[in-house]
Amino acid sequence: MFDIDLQSRIPIYEQLYKRVVEMTVKKQLSPGDKLPSVRELAKSLGVNPNTVSKAFQSLERDGIIYSLAGRGSFISESNGNAIKENARADFKTAVKDALSAGLTAEDMTEIIADTTSIGGTKLD
Amino acid sequence: MIKLTGVTKKFGDFTALDSVDLTIPKGTSFGLLGSNGAGKSTILRLLSGIYSPDSGEVSIDGETVFDNTDIKQRVFFINDETVQFGSFTLNGMKKYYKGFYPNFSEELFEELREKVNLPANKRTDSFSKGMKRQAIVITGLACQTDYLLLDEAFDGLDPTMRIIVKRMLVDAMLDRQLTTIISSHNLKEINEVCDSVALLHQGKTLFNRDLDSVKGSIHKVQAAFKGEYSREDFEKYGILHYSRSQSIHYIIMKGSEEEIRTKLSEKDPIVLDLIPLSLEEIFIYEMEGMGYDAGQLD
Repeated sequence: MFDIDLQSRIPIYEQLYKRVVEMTVKKQLSPGDKLPSVRELAKSLGVNPNTVSKAFQSLERDGIIYSLAGRGSFISESNGNAIKENARADFKTAVKDALSAGLTAEDMTEIIADTTSIGGTKLD
Repeated sequence: MIKLTGVTKKFGDFTALDSVDLTIPKGTSFGLLGSNGAGKSTILRLLSGIYSPDSGEVSIDGETVFDNTDIKQRVFFINDETVQFGSFTLNGMKKYYKGFYPNFSEELFEELREKVNLPANKRTDSFSKGMKRQAIVITGLACQTDYLLLDEAFDGLDPTMRIIVKRMLVDAMLDRQLTTIISSHNLKEINEVCDSVALLHQGKTLFNRDLDSVKGSIHKVQAAFKGEYSREDFEKYGILHYSRSQSIHYIIMKGSEEEIRTKLSEKDPIVLDLIPLSLEEIFIYEMEGMGYDAGQLD
C-alpha cells in the first residue's frame, strides 16, 4: 500500500510523507489507524530504516501522525491543518503550471466553480 | 563513529588517497561512490586495519584502527575479491570466525545458510563464484560486528540474496545500530540502501553529504524569457551546462529550487520549469566538472 518509486528524483522520505498524506485525504487511512513500523516498511520497500524514520519524524512534526512509545505510530485526529497546508501547496503548483500553459485566472475560476459544483462539496 | 583526518595513502608513486577527511556517524548507512581507482577500496582497507595510512589518522570510536585487535573484532570486511577459502567447509568457516569475533551467532549463521541453501559439509573451494560470495556475506552478517564494510558487495548477488541482505541490514541497524559502508558503482543500490554518500575522485572527496540533500542540489532548468539572453547572461549563476533550442534555454545549475527561482526571477521568465537531477546525473556532472568525461572515452 505504500508504493514508492525508488528510481524517482524525489527523495524517498518525501514520497513516503506524501503517500501518507494522500491516503489520509482519500480516507484510506483514518484517524487512529496504525501505520506499519519503521522496520516493516523498510523491509518491505527494501530501503534504509533511517529514511523511513525521517519521513515519520516529519509527519509527526507536522501533526499528521503521532507516536506512542513501544506501540507504534498512528494517524492523528486533528490533522486537518497539515493536510490543508499540503493541499494548498499542491494547488499553487497546479496554478503555476496552468499559467505557464496559457490559462488565465478567469479560466481557472471557471474550473474551480465547475469542479466544486460537480463534487457537491461546500468550501469552508 | 568513523573518522578519517587528513589521510594520505600512496602505493609507490601512485597516490590512492590524498588528505581525505571523512566522518561517518554511528548507525549510518554510508555509500562510497567513485570511478575505478578513485580510492574506495583503499578507504575500506584502511578501516579494516589491513593498511596503515602514510599520514593522517584513521579511527573508529576514537581508537586508531591499524594493528588494533579490539577494533578489528568490531569490523567485518566483505571484500570484492574472491576470498581464498581453501579446504574449509562452511562448518569449518563457522568455527574459524567464531574464534575471532566475540559476537558471532551460530544460530544466525545456520538460519542464513539454510535460507540460501548452502551445504555445510562441502569444501568451499568447490563452490561456484556466486556461492562463495553468499558464503562470505552470511559469515559477515553472522559475526554481528558494529561495523560492516561491503566492497562492491551487492554487485555479485542475485536478486533474492540482495533482498535477504537488505532485510538483515534493516534489522541490524534497528537492533544494534549497525554502521555500514558500501562501495559501489551501482547508483541504484546506493540510492536505496544509503542515507549519506561521498563521491571520490582521484583520491579526493568531491562531496560528502546526506543523500536527500545531494538529490535536490542540482536542477535542470527549462526557461523562456521576454528579453533576449545568451549563455553569458547566466554564467554568474554558476551554471554547469547550457544549451538552447529556439526560445527555450536549457540550463543545469547548482542550488535548491527556491534559490534558482529567486536568481532567475530578475530576468523575468515567462516559463520556468525545474527538474531535480537524478543521483546518476549529479554523479556524471560532478565527474565532468573534474575532467572525467565519459564522452572522452569513445
